[in-house]
Amino acid sequence: MASTDVAAAEVKAQTTQAEEPAKVVRHQEVGHKSLLQSDALYQYILETSVYPREPEPMKELREVTAKHPWNLMTTSADEGQFLGLLLKLINAKNTMEIGVYTGYSLLSTALALPDDGKILAMDINRENYDIGLPIIEKAGVAHKIDFREGPALPVLDEMVKNEDMHGSFDFVFVDADKDNYLNYHKRLIDLVKVGGLIAYDNTLWNGSVVAPPDAPLRKYVRYYRDFVMELNKALAVDPRIEISQIPVGDGVTLCRRNY
Amino acid sequence: MASTDVAAAEVKAQTTQAEEPAKVVRHQEVGHKSLLQSDALYQYILETSVYPREPEPMKELREVTAKHPWNLMTTSADEGQFLGLLLKLINAKNTMEIGVYTGYSLLSTALALPDDGKILAMDINRENYDIGLPIIEKAGVAHKIDFREGPALPVLDEMVKNEDMHGSFDFVFVDADKDNYLNYHKRLIDLVKVGGLIAYDNTLWNGSVVAPPDAPLRKYVRYYRDFVMELNKALAVDPRIEISQIPVGDGVTLCRRVY
Repeated sequence: MASTDVAAAEVKAQTTQAEEPAKVVRHQEVGHKSLLQSDALYQYILETSVYPREPEPMKELREVTAKHPWNLMTTSADEGQFLGLLLKLINAKNTMEIGVYTGYSLLSTALALPDDGKILAMDINRENYDIGLPIIEKAGVAHKIDFREGPALPVLDEMVKNEDMHGSFDFVFVDADKDNYLNYHKRLIDLVKVGGLIAYDNTLWNGSVVAPPDAPLRKYVRYYRDFVMELNKALAVDPRIEISQIPVGDGVTLCRRNY
Repeated sequence: MASTDVAAAEVKAQTTQAEEPAKVVRHQEVGHKSLLQSDALYQYILETSVYPREPEPMKELREVTAKHPWNLMTTSADEGQFLGLLLKLINAKNTMEIGVYTGYSLLSTALALPDDGKILAMDINRENYDIGLPIIEKAGVAHKIDFREGPALPVLDEMVKNEDMHGSFDFVFVDADKDNYLNYHKRLIDLVKVGGLIAYDNTLWNGSVVAPPDAPLRKYVRYYRDFVMELNKALAVDPRIEISQIPVGDGVTLCRRVY
């Protein structure tokens, strides 16, 4: 997801505090967090089905990102692989990504699209993208990416004003500020083509969607949880989409536009 | 998965024994088993994103199946929803299903395909399919289904002999005897079209793929586990496919034919 003031401050505070060293270490082990019944099962998937097939550039970007203090924001390797497969299955060519961070899912997307594929990628923070960009260039797919620094809503609003942009995207990946997902959705539902796909990331929000009211939650998890749960309810009743909420990564809700 | 002697005997024995009443009840609660960190999280997905959208015929078939003693073999509602979405995303028209049981995933498939869509469905046991067939007929989609009772391998072998059948399927769902998955794969890789999708079900096998050697496992779980793990290793290195193993249901491995 894109860096947000709340999340960034939270994580920075965590990495400097000594009070929860074990948890801080675990969060910094990129790829260890999952929604599954055990870490062993998650590792099994990674080691059996993901890592042996992970393209070199993605492996490199994942390892570079692992050293970054905000790495819990990155897309996991299993989700990166799933997205790449999905993009090929739907023959995607023109896509959008809201929330880039260092670019792991963006790289997976760029590798999956045909050579003349295009990705409009937006993030409020260019610095993190610059970490991944050299690797994306080395992979030979940077030419597919149109990166825009800044908030996504103004860009979407501009596109929505233009009738020709309606239905112009095959696929949109939203991995950004949870308190804006529904605002993005109101625009994306017209910008994605009929039969096209919007994927909302982190919709199971670390499993916190079912945490009891008195459960100890990190501040930013608790802060955004209400927005995530509201999003899930709204997507469930939106007649313009058909959905599937799958426990890949931190929970992805796939939404196919019906009309 | 299709009924197998080992699994059926095991389940029958379980339902008559008093030694593990709690576990037997849990298995009979269709939809409660999952690979997720908690049952509460799984229920959240079902209640938020699945049940409100589940088509009436599928709900009815699920409820009828829940009363059947072998109901742990059924496809879960979240997986049924995911498959339906996937089929629409890939514009599937000509599909195959190996392993039908009462027909929940078959019904989901039939509802997702266009009116002239076709499904070749095979199961060694017609009796279970007959439980679901009236509901499938009432849903108005039975005309898409060509059901064949008997083992699938001979049917596949016959099709493979015919060059015209090569690359003739958009999608194949394999949810049957785990000790034959690799045998199915050797044939399906030629029968599915280039760019088409084979989905293997139960590839995380109740999480038992990471159970320690001395863990108490049900007999049929232990029996088939080696086959499942061998399958996973084989799919991981098969250059003719691109894969993604996702923790939906009991684990589904999606395989897109590359060449």
